[in-house]
Amino acid sequence: MAVALFLSVLLIAACGLVYELIAGALASYLLGDSVFQFSTIIGSYLFAMGIGSWLSRFLDRALVSRFIAIELMVGLVGGFSSTLLFFAFASTGGFRFLLYLVVILLGVLVGLEIPLLMRILQERFNFKELVSNVLTFDYLGALGASLIFPLFVVPRMGLVRGAMAFGLLNALVALWSTWLFRRHLPHASPQRAACFGVLALLVAGFVYGQKITDTADATLYADEVILARTTPYQRIVLTKWKDDYRLHLNAHLQFSSKDEYRYHEALVHPGLASLAGAKHALVLGGGDGLAVREMLKYPSLESITLVDLDPAMTELFRTHPLLTKLNANALNSPRVRVVNADAFPWLEQSNDTFDFVVADFPDPNNYSLGKLFTTAFYRLLKQHVSANGLIVVQATSPMFARQSYWCIVETLKRAGFRAWPYHAYVPAFGEWGFVLAGDRDWRPPGQLPAGLRYLDAKTLPALFDFAPDMGPVPAEPNRLNDQSLVRYYEKEWREIIH
Amino acid sequence: MARDYPLTGGEPPLQLTRRDFTAGLVSGSFAAPALLGMTRKAPQRIEGGFVFEDQERGHKLRDHAQFPAPQRTVKVPVVIVGGGIAGLSAAWWLQKRSFKDFVLLELADRAGGNARWGENGVTAFPWAAHYLPVPGKRATLVRELCTELGLLKDGVWDERWLCHSQQERLFINGHWQEGIEPQSGMAREDFDQFRHFAERMKAMRETGAFRVPSEDGAAHQTTGTRDLDNITFGEWMRREGLYSPYLRWYLDYCTRDDYGAAAGRVSAWAGVHYFASREPDEKGPLTWPEGNGWIARRLIGRLSAHIQTGSMVHHIRPNGHRWQVYTEGVLYDAEAVIFAAPMLLASWMIEPQPPAWPVPYAPWLVANLTLEHWPKEDDSEPAWDNVVYDSPTLGYVVATHQNLGRQPNRTVWTFYWALAGGAPADMRRVLLGGDWNYWRERILADLERVHPDIRDCVSRIDINRIGHAMPSPVPGSMFHPERIRRATPQGTLVYAHSDLSALPLFEEAQHRGVTAAQHVLRLVGRG
Repeated sequence: MAVALFLSVLLIAACGLVYELIAGALASYLLGDSVFQFSTIIGSYLFAMGIGSWLSRFLDRALVSRFIAIELMVGLVGGFSSTLLFFAFASTGGFRFLLYLVVILLGVLVGLEIPLLMRILQERFNFKELVSNVLTFDYLGALGASLIFPLFVVPRMGLVRGAMAFGLLNALVALWSTWLFRRHLPHASPQRAACFGVLALLVAGFVYGQKITDTADATLYADEVILARTTPYQRIVLTKWKDDYRLHLNAHLQFSSKDEYRYHEALVHPGLASLAGAKHALVLGGGDGLAVREMLKYPSLESITLVDLDPAMTELFRTHPLLTKLNANALNSPRVRVVNADAFPWLEQSNDTFDFVVADFPDPNNYSLGKLFTTAFYRLLKQHVSANGLIVVQATSPMFARQSYWCIVETLKRAGFRAWPYHAYVPAFGEWGFVLAGDRDWRPPGQLPAGLRYLDAKTLPALFDFAPDMGPVPAEPNRLNDQSLVRYYEKEWREIIH
Repeated sequence: MARDYPLTGGEPPLQLTRRDFTAGLVSGSFAAPALLGMTRKAPQRIEGGFVFEDQERGHKLRDHAQFPAPQRTVKVPVVIVGGGIAGLSAAWWLQKRSFKDFVLLELADRAGGNARWGENGVTAFPWAAHYLPVPGKRATLVRELCTELGLLKDGVWDERWLCHSQQERLFINGHWQEGIEPQSGMAREDFDQFRHFAERMKAMRETGAFRVPSEDGAAHQTTGTRDLDNITFGEWMRREGLYSPYLRWYLDYCTRDDYGAAAGRVSAWAGVHYFASREPDEKGPLTWPEGNGWIARRLIGRLSAHIQTGSMVHHIRPNGHRWQVYTEGVLYDAEAVIFAAPMLLASWMIEPQPPAWPVPYAPWLVANLTLEHWPKEDDSEPAWDNVVYDSPTLGYVVATHQNLGRQPNRTVWTFYWALAGGAPADMRRVLLGGDWNYWRERILADLERVHPDIRDCVSRIDINRIGHAMPSPVPGSMFHPERIRRATPQGTLVYAHSDLSALPLFEEAQHRGVTAAQHVLRLVGRG
């Protein structure tokens, strides 16, 4: 009996310390400056415990049922503390206020616990033993909690479920007390009912803790994350803000549904509209199917081959209702063939020729991607383009990465192409560059497909004019054995970031 | 000068690694693993062994053991002994001149010599020489071969086989930098010393005494350049006042890499040659998954009708005006012999025994590591050649680097280690003294410095121990009379090997092979 009593002291102490640590850890995560957060939280908590101890003098009657009520309150407030704080951070400006309010409330309640328990127990033990035992177990509990918190609670349960677990412990101590102190509790049933109610709430919280964490995480981002997938090749994240969907690959923005039509119309139509009778087209990269959507506006095109590395990407844009709506179900068109392969080796083994090729690769920010912008790659591509055919290359920003852009133009020329550089303004990206390349003369198309939102035949030629701040600069061609482009690109973007 | 590490022979001392220690803690206390979440990860099981172990056959030759008498005699005008690049080049040249009456005898199951290669389910990979510097305008023979192999078209090098970016990186001061020449952490003085060194090399290049092939520079030697062969490269650095630790490390790395010996041991002439002989007209080098095996493979393909593999020559005896070349099965009776095997073997095979060969050999270890996945990289991409500053090893080369697509998950790394930490004979004992487990641990321990998770990536380590891997041009080698005697074709037995130049280079091997072939063609009346 005595051991059981003191064991509950140990548990109460452990729970009390854990809530304090949770508040400290959470504040450090969310606000940074962990020294400040932990110091102020521990300080306020201890101070609040002092208030609780002082307040205990005003409790004179029905100590046991008060003790049980306090336990349940600690369990509830403590158990839901991290959930509450996560949501508060994500959705209100009053996080700090709420943080200290929760800390002080918990401190007061925990501060009430030990004096009350000692008074309940004073008739059973002599004072000397009582103080010694209660404080011994109190400190032991603190030691246990402080060890278990970083080693087990945080890594295994996380802050949300960890808090719930300790809330459950408080509630269980309360329930247990209804038996331990049954002599003092003539009518225990209402108390027990309350205990079960609180337990049920906390169990539910614990079970759904992961969901709560996810929702809380999501609200931490500026935009709602509606889809996130990690594939062997990249991390695909789709976010939504109002009616704007944004696709990020490895945290690089690929498009915004608000203005992607500008990018994709500019990518496809200046070239394709100028090719009367183009029959076979190839898209390299561009697994989102948005370039394909534009190309399907040409009834004369018999086949479009899309080569994208990542099956997860093309699968997503073939099946996800939001995304198929965005690309007008382009990847499910009978005219479209999807190949999941690495573009360079795929081209090397292919015997096909195409009238129009879109090279829509991610920006060349590493040597692996840089290979897809080399003279070797373009020479290989040239063997797969029909005599009258054209290729178009997404070529990063002539504004922000000017030398990189003109390096791509130079590389195409060195590979034996004639090149027609042009650019378009895409709000999500800024000024963006493309290069049209072919063997023959090229004239702007006199007519464009119906229903375009950005381009028309009258304004299209203006895309080929470059303002002086984006005009040509000398650049070395990008070659497999000397990837000047990756160096330019890295240098130029670094200058912008710093 | 030598910033080498003493190597200890025999078994590694029993040492508790941190991993073992942690594992012991975990398994020793029942509650800890669950509490701490520290259950032991089963490390990747690493398989492998030694490959091409033919020290025994070599020692049999050295000790003049009894060989069975050949069962039949074959009369053939020309015999080439040895199927490395020199022998293959001699054969290549004979064939180009439409001379067909020759046979090439190769000891191993496959020709290739130091351009030998291997292949597994992941990729082909080199077993020794793994690149060819882009030949300059003067290197006409190499360019001729490159043109034949489609590497050079209308004066333009095919990008496909020029080493792709990023060529080299160096792990120094805790991070990877691009290029092997140290940049990170250098003071102005260090940069000044690099500049001074570059200027000295430019002046040396202008003398014309340092060419590839080295024979081309023979006419331009002066007392000044000849004197360089009397001192070590390390001594030359001291005299030049080059004391920057970064520069000295770099030069030492280069001599270990190219000559298998520390800068403090190689001839200053050879050290200078490394830096002053080349004028590439393209950023290179040329490289392939299987290294120079790519070239060997193509030469072997063209010459297969002439190549007899598995033919160990054990004696070469004069018989009147002809030569008798003994193998275990066949006695070849030849008008002329091109001896294209390492010079070390000549005194064991040829009668009468030629004077001792003056150039020592360096012991090497080459390992091919199969990786199931790549180690984690923080902010660097793997380069083709990956070197660690202040490591006794030479680093590793990625066999899949020339893939056109993105790097596959599985790959092969070729790890090079010239045992340059002491006298070659001692180092050979160390090399042969350690068993596979010992060398596996040494290799992993070296890689672990830069890839802490390497043990989780590697599934296989095959190791080739080469006691006499390449000539180390120590002082006195370059102008030694015996070297010059053998290098000058005369009579009906001619030597052809890069050893003759005391420089272990593809171009030297090819030059010696072709020169010997030209001499032999004159002998048989076809030149």
